[in-house]
Amino acid sequence: MRRKIAYPLATLGMVASSLAVASSPALAHGYVSSPPSRQAQCAAGTVANCGAIQFEPQSAEAPKGSKECNGGVAAFSELNNNSLAWKATNVGKSATFNWVLTARHRTATWVYYVDGTPIATFDDKNSIPAATVSHTVDLSRFSGRKTVLAVWNIGDTPMAFYNCVDVNIGGTGSGTGSTTPTTAPTTAAPTTPPATTAPTAAPTTAAPTATRTSSAASSGKAWAPGVSYKVNDVVTYEGVSYQCRQAHQSIRSWEPSIWTLALWLPL
Amino acid sequence: MRRRHLAALIVAAAPLLLGACGTDVDKAPASTAAPTRNVTNVADITAGSTYNDTDVMFLQMLIDNQKQGQQMAQIAAKRAARPEIVQLAKAVQVTQADEIKLMTGWLAEWDKPATLDERVSLHADHGGMPSTGDEEIASLKTVPKAQFETAFLNLFLAHQHNAVEFAQLELDKGGNELTKSFAERVKQSRTDQVQQMLRLLAG
Repeated sequence: MRRKIAYPLATLGMVASSLAVASSPALAHGYVSSPPSRQAQCAAGTVANCGAIQFEPQSAEAPKGSKECNGGVAAFSELNNNSLAWKATNVGKSATFNWVLTARHRTATWVYYVDGTPIATFDDKNSIPAATVSHTVDLSRFSGRKTVLAVWNIGDTPMAFYNCVDVNIGGTGSGTGSTTPTTAPTTAAPTTPPATTAPTAAPTTAAPTATRTSSAASSGKAWAPGVSYKVNDVVTYEGVSYQCRQAHQSIRSWEPSIWTLALWLPL
Repeated sequence: MRRRHLAALIVAAAPLLLGACGTDVDKAPASTAAPTRNVTNVADITAGSTYNDTDVMFLQMLIDNQKQGQQMAQIAAKRAARPEIVQLAKAVQVTQADEIKLMTGWLAEWDKPATLDERVSLHADHGGMPSTGDEEIASLKTVPKAQFETAFLNLFLAHQHNAVEFAQLELDKGGNELTKSFAERVKQSRTDQVQQMLRLLAG
């Protein structure tokens, strides 16, 4: 039998507003994830020195009507800084913009601007957004590097969410997704095959190759974040050896411990 | 009753807390240098008797969030094409399954239910809906395969952002030290998963 607990709205309201005071991201709602907006590049660690927005890319919220990348929010002024190393995604004559929504507000419109001029508007007529939101926008009038301002105008508040998305129109890319080839480092591509090669290639200290795939196999190297571990890899952590039980890319707080027995078995 | 209240101890020695938590003598023999080695069940971690309403709410909300997360990860493990995404989904499944056990155990320790009767949103007071509902999850089963990865990553990004929001609430207002240190872990792991997923989307 489930017991009923309905948190009184008053309580939640109180919580939410106190969070706002504590400047936590609780009032945040959404951003463009791909092609990666500036805040997405900050959150992904692709661009450094981003300030607070890297922890809450969904937070560039400000009253409707701004044409700035940060919507005029001083705390996120980095978003306006064109000298940061923003990567421009290669796109064709059109691009599909995908959104992450952390709270589904009723929506007035989604508007896309280039050089201060609206180039596409999607009217949601004050409805709740669908499961996934993406818009294909015609960019055929433009070419070369442009910064697209994507704005989510909320229907039931005076606020909007602002994103600048740097694109290279007619760049070598095919259509929507591909960033310049230099970006790739993260996704340790050939995760599985190297597993077998590692032991055989042992004599030639081969492994410390490109993408930090675990050369750790059974050698018991110290655990580190950002490594792609395979099943049966052995690492040491705080003097104890552990064996990997589930292949994964290591991240903070996934170090071997009581909390992560599903990933690491103490030996 | 084999549960013991070790919250204070644990804060001081978070990385070592495993051994310390088992009350069974055989689980933490004094001779063992590394106490972590002898605990093999996450449910052996107990939370201690000091807690407040935020601790309870955080755990209940996160259990609900993670049960949904399990469904999403399960679908992704089947439908995603890229091995990196399948792997992330599976790793999330196994780690969050343990976290659900842990949180359910703490709520039981406090004699609180582990289920929410109504899904709540931190944004409820101004009309926001939670990022993920049953409909959104169901959509992952029907979205064409070619669009699946984008759909999953965007939904799961929002989902993990929500978990970070819950964790921040606990860090700001929670009372139980172990629950707060767990919240810090949630914040870190989800933040890093967000990073991975954003890079997967851009790749």
